[in-house]
Amino acid sequence: MFEYSSLLTFIALTAILAFSFYAVLIAGQLSLAQVGLASLAAFTSSLVVPNEPLFGFIPPLLIGVVFGMAVGVIAAFVLGLPVMRLRGVFLAIATLAFGEMVRIFLINQSWTNGAQGLSFPKLVGIETAWIALALVAFWFWRLSGSRMGRAFAAIREDELAATTMGIDVPRYRMASFVIAGAVAGLYGVLFAHFTRFADPNQFSFEAAVDGLVTAVVGGTTFFVGPLLGSVFLSTLPELQRTLGIDAGWIRPAISGLLLLVVILFLPGGLAGLIPRRRSSTKLVSDPAALPQLEPLPARGTEVMSLRGLGKSYGGVRAVHDVDLTLATGEILGLIGPNGAGKTTLVNMVTGVTAPTGGSGTVLGIELAAKTRAHRLASAGIARTFQQIKLFNRLSALDNVLVGGYRISRDTLLRRLVFLPSARRFERQAAAVASAQLIRVGLGDKATTAAGDLSYGDQRRLEIARALASHPTLLVLDEPAAGMNHVEAERLSELIRSLAADGVAVLIIEHNVRMMLALCDRITVLNFGEVIAAGTPEEIARDPRVLEAYLGADGDAAAATAAEELAEVAADAVKGHDDAAGTEDAR
Amino acid sequence: MQLFVDGIFLGSIYALFAIGFTLVFGILDRLNLAHAAVFSAGALVGIEVVTRWGLSIWLAIPIVFALGALLGVLIERIAFRPLAGRHDAHFAGLISSIAFGAIILSVLQALYGADTRRFPADAFPSTRLEFLGATFSLLQLMILVISVGLMVVLTWVVAKSKLGRGMRTIAENPHAAAVLGLNVGRISSMTFAISSALGAVAGVLFTLNVNAANLGIGHAVELKALAVIILGGLGSLPGALIGGLILGLAEVYAVNTVGSSWRDMVAFGLLFLVLIIRPQGIFGARKVREV
Repeated sequence: MFEYSSLLTFIALTAILAFSFYAVLIAGQLSLAQVGLASLAAFTSSLVVPNEPLFGFIPPLLIGVVFGMAVGVIAAFVLGLPVMRLRGVFLAIATLAFGEMVRIFLINQSWTNGAQGLSFPKLVGIETAWIALALVAFWFWRLSGSRMGRAFAAIREDELAATTMGIDVPRYRMASFVIAGAVAGLYGVLFAHFTRFADPNQFSFEAAVDGLVTAVVGGTTFFVGPLLGSVFLSTLPELQRTLGIDAGWIRPAISGLLLLVVILFLPGGLAGLIPRRRSSTKLVSDPAALPQLEPLPARGTEVMSLRGLGKSYGGVRAVHDVDLTLATGEILGLIGPNGAGKTTLVNMVTGVTAPTGGSGTVLGIELAAKTRAHRLASAGIARTFQQIKLFNRLSALDNVLVGGYRISRDTLLRRLVFLPSARRFERQAAAVASAQLIRVGLGDKATTAAGDLSYGDQRRLEIARALASHPTLLVLDEPAAGMNHVEAERLSELIRSLAADGVAVLIIEHNVRMMLALCDRITVLNFGEVIAAGTPEEIARDPRVLEAYLGADGDAAAATAAEELAEVAADAVKGHDDAAGTEDAR
Repeated sequence: MQLFVDGIFLGSIYALFAIGFTLVFGILDRLNLAHAAVFSAGALVGIEVVTRWGLSIWLAIPIVFALGALLGVLIERIAFRPLAGRHDAHFAGLISSIAFGAIILSVLQALYGADTRRFPADAFPSTRLEFLGATFSLLQLMILVISVGLMVVLTWVVAKSKLGRGMRTIAENPHAAAVLGLNVGRISSMTFAISSALGAVAGVLFTLNVNAANLGIGHAVELKALAVIILGGLGSLPGALIGGLILGLAEVYAVNTVGSSWRDMVAFGLLFLVLIIRPQGIFGARKVREV
C-alpha cells in the first residue's frame, strides 16, 4: 500500500507540473521556464518555511506554498517583460535558457548547498498533493468557460484576429505566463517537501521536456488533460515493472513508442478520447436574454477623419496622402485595382499597421505609431479580413462569442465562487452571439468548427463575429468574395440594415455593380492615391476610374470591374435619357 | 594565444553539431530533438565499428555517415511526415522527435549498454602541432577544417543547387512547392538525411576529441547547439559556424576568468541576450510577416 501512496502522490505532483505547461499552451505560448520557476520557488521557500506553525495555527507548508507561488508569479512577470515579444520556438528557447540560467545560478549558491542538494522537511503526503491538484484543476475548469478562457483560446488560434476583437494580447499572454508561474511555484514547493531532498540539477531541461510531454500527451484542449497525461506517463513504468518487462532498455523503448503513437494518432491528446459536446456553449435564441446595449452615437456623427494619411515601405508608397471622412449611418466604399493600397489603408484605420505620414482620428483615437489595434477595437471598430482569419478550431458560436469580448464582462472570479451573475452574464453574451449568428444565416451551424465551414459561410461568420462587438464603425474587406449574386444581394441588404441602425460602414469590394448599388459614397484608389471620390453615379461616369481599371494589365478582377463600370455607366446614361423621354426607364 | 586556439577548436565542435541541426531547424523550420540521439548513435556505432570490426577510423566515418542518413530518413518519415498539415505540427513534431530520439537511445542501450565507451587509444593519430606558441592536436585541426568546409559546401548547396532551392521553397510554402511539381517528401527526406548524417559524424569527431561517449552526450551538446544557432542567426550556415566559434571563445575565456562552475552560464546568458536584443541573430534576416 505504501508504494502506491507514493505513486499516487507522484501522479498528483506531475499533474500539477503539467498544468503549469497547460496554462501557457491554452494561450498558444510555448514556455519551458516553468521548471526553473519551480526550482526558484522550492529553494527560496526553504529560507522561509518555519519549523513550527506560525502563530500556533498557520501550517508551515501553507507559508511555503504561498511564498513559493508568489516567487513563481514575480519571477514569471519579470521574465515575461523582456521575452513576451518573442513567439513560438523563440519564446521556447529563451525560456529554456532562463531555466538553465536559474539552475546554474542555484548550483553556485552556498545557501542551496549547490550540487550536493538540500534537505527539506517532509510536509507533503498523498492528501495534500491531491487537494492541491484538485484546486488547480478547479481553477482551470472554471477558466475554460469564462471570457478570459475564450480570450486565451482566441490568441492561440489567431493573435491578429484576437487583437482586432479588442483583446489586449500582450496583457493576456503575460497573464497566462504569470498563472503558469504560480502553478510552477506551487509544484516546486510541494515537490521538494514531498521528496525531502532536492538539488538544482533535478530541475533541468529534461525535467522541463517531461513536463511539456505530460501536458501535450494529456491534451491541451480540456482541463483534465494534464491529469490524464500524468496518470499515463507515471504509471507506465510501474505497470512495466509489475509485468516484469523492465530490463534496462525495454522501459524507455516502450515509453518512447507509446508517446509516438499518442502524438501521431491522437491529435487532441488523451483528453481527446473523452466524448464531449463539440461546443461549450449552446445557441440562446431567447430575445429576453439579450442585454441592453449602449446606443450608437447619433446619425451623422463623424467617426473617422483621415488627413493626408500615408504609408510607405522603404521607398515604396503603398498609400499616399489620403483624405477621408466617414459618419455613422453612412456606407463608404473603397474600390481600386489590386495593389491600389485599399487593404493597407484599412489596416491603418484599424490600427493593424502604423501610418508613416499624415494624421487621422478614428472614434476619437489618434492614429499614431503606438496606437494599438485592440484600443481601437475597444472604442468600437470591428473588421473582417480579406484573407479569412477565423479561430478555426473553435465552434462558429464560440467565434462569435469572442467577437462579443468588448461588450461582455469577465466572469472568471464570479465563476470560481459560482455566483449566479456569472451564469447570467454568460447567457447574455451567448444571446448576443446567437442573435448575430442567426442574423447571417448560420444558426444551424453553431456547433460546427469554423475551419470546417464552407468558404461563403466562413465569410458570413467573420461578419457575425465583427457584429457581435456592437461596433460603431464596421470595416469589411472584400466580404462578398466567393459569393454568388444572390448571396451578395443578401449581404447588401444586411449592410443596408446596419447602416439604417446607425453603424458607419467602410467597405472594400471588387464587385463594382454591388458597390455602386450599395454605397452612399465611393473613393477610388490607384497606386496608393485617391483618384476619384463621390457618389456612385459620379464614380460610374468618371473616365479616370475606368482608365485605372483598364490600365491594370493582366488583372482579371480589374477587367471584370472595368466591364461592369462601363455597363453601369451606360445604364446610367441610358436611364437618364430614358427618364427624360418616356416613363419606362428600363 | 593558447586560450584563443582552444576556444576556436571548442567552437568548431559546437559548429559541427549546429550546422547539421540548423539545416532542418533553420531551413525546413522544424526543430528535430532526435538530433541529439543521432549524435549519440554516431559516436557509439563509430566506436563499435573501430573496436569490434577492427576497421580504420577513415572507414568508420563513411559508415557512420550512411547510418546517420538512414536515421534521418526514418525520423522524417515516422516522426515528421505524418504530422504535415496538422495545425499543431510544430508542437507535435517537437514531441514526436523526442519520442523517436528516446527509441533510438533505447536501442543503443540494448546494443551497447549504458556505460561510457571509448575509442582505442590508437584509433586516431595523436600528432601534436604547434602554431604561434599554442599547441593543439591534428584531430582538432581536422574538426575545424571539416566545419569550415561543410559550411562552405552546404551554403553553396542551399543557395545554388536544385535541392537547396527545393528546400527553401518548401520552407516558404509546402503547398505551393507541391503545386510547382516539387517532390516535397523526397526533398524533406534528403534534408533530414544530410542533417542527421552530419550529426552522426559530429558524434564520432566529438568523441574522438573528448575520448568518451555514452548515451547522454548528445543532450549535453544539443542545448549548446541551440545557443549557437540562435546566436549566428536561424537558418544561416555561416552564422552557425561563427556562432559556434564565438561561443567556444566565450566559454574558454569565461572558464579562465570566473571558473568552470559558471561556464554554462555563458552559453545561456548569450542565448538569452541575443534573443532579447536581436532575435534574428548576427547573420539572420528578419522575416516580415504578411497580414
